[in-house]
Amino acid sequence: MRKSNREAAADEAEIDLTPMLDVVFIMLIFFIVVASFLKEAGIEMNRPDSNQNPPESDATSIVVTITGDDQIWMENRRIDIRAIRANIARLLAEDPEQSFTVKTESGATAGTLLEVGDAAREAGVKQVNWPAEDKK
Amino acid sequence: MEAGRAGADGGGGEGEIDLTPMLDVVFIMLIFFIVTSSFVKEPGIDILKAEAVTTNPCVRGTIIFAVNATGDIYYDKKQVPVDRAYRLAEAAKKEAPKANFVIQADVDAPTSALSELLSVIKPLMDAPLCASTDDAG
Repeated sequence: MRKSNREAAADEAEIDLTPMLDVVFIMLIFFIVVASFLKEAGIEMNRPDSNQNPPESDATSIVVTITGDDQIWMENRRIDIRAIRANIARLLAEDPEQSFTVKTESGATAGTLLEVGDAAREAGVKQVNWPAEDKK
Repeated sequence: MEAGRAGADGGGGEGEIDLTPMLDVVFIMLIFFIVTSSFVKEPGIDILKAEAVTTNPCVRGTIIFAVNATGDIYYDKKQVPVDRAYRLAEAAKKEAPKANFVIQADVDAPTSALSELLSVIKPLMDAPLCASTDDAG
């Protein structure tokens, strides 16, 4: 009886930190692992819903078309990739709330598409819309 | 014998082996391997990504598809046909409901393949697609 009392008192006297340290280490490892996976970076592309009609006219939104041979067309003109940002910025200055759509035709490459998307984002477009390609 | 008893009495810890530290290490390793194995399935192919000035981190972009220069779709180190991509994407989304989609597209990848893949996984997406790029700036 006396012995068990003394043991209980000894247990209460010093707090064992080991379980807390274990939990802390587990959390630490968990967060290190989770953090290290957030390394993928890129640009956001929105696919508009198919039932919502894509904007057809240049009056309400900025439309850039990439043809099958990677030419970039905007406002019925062919535009060099380096000039695309300035052109979008100019249109955006007239109405900053305009939506932006990039259309592609079969045969275009992803590099051109992403460059146009990047240029648009650089010009200040909030969202790059990329509707589905028309099936031939 | 006498000395041995005296020693055991002196340090009670020597009498029985305390398994707790070993269990701790085991649990940590267990958790580590669970977490590392199931988090991201890498497409596992080398692609040449486009460079973009406005590159941002993909928020929770952990479901990764890759499209190479010939338009083949890769997921989890395997080439997959486009009609199987939906089931794979659905399974991945079920496993991690908050995960968002990432497509790694080669600069020479045809947009038609990319567009088709995006159309297939579009019903599962609750955020815009993150098209993987390299930071140019």
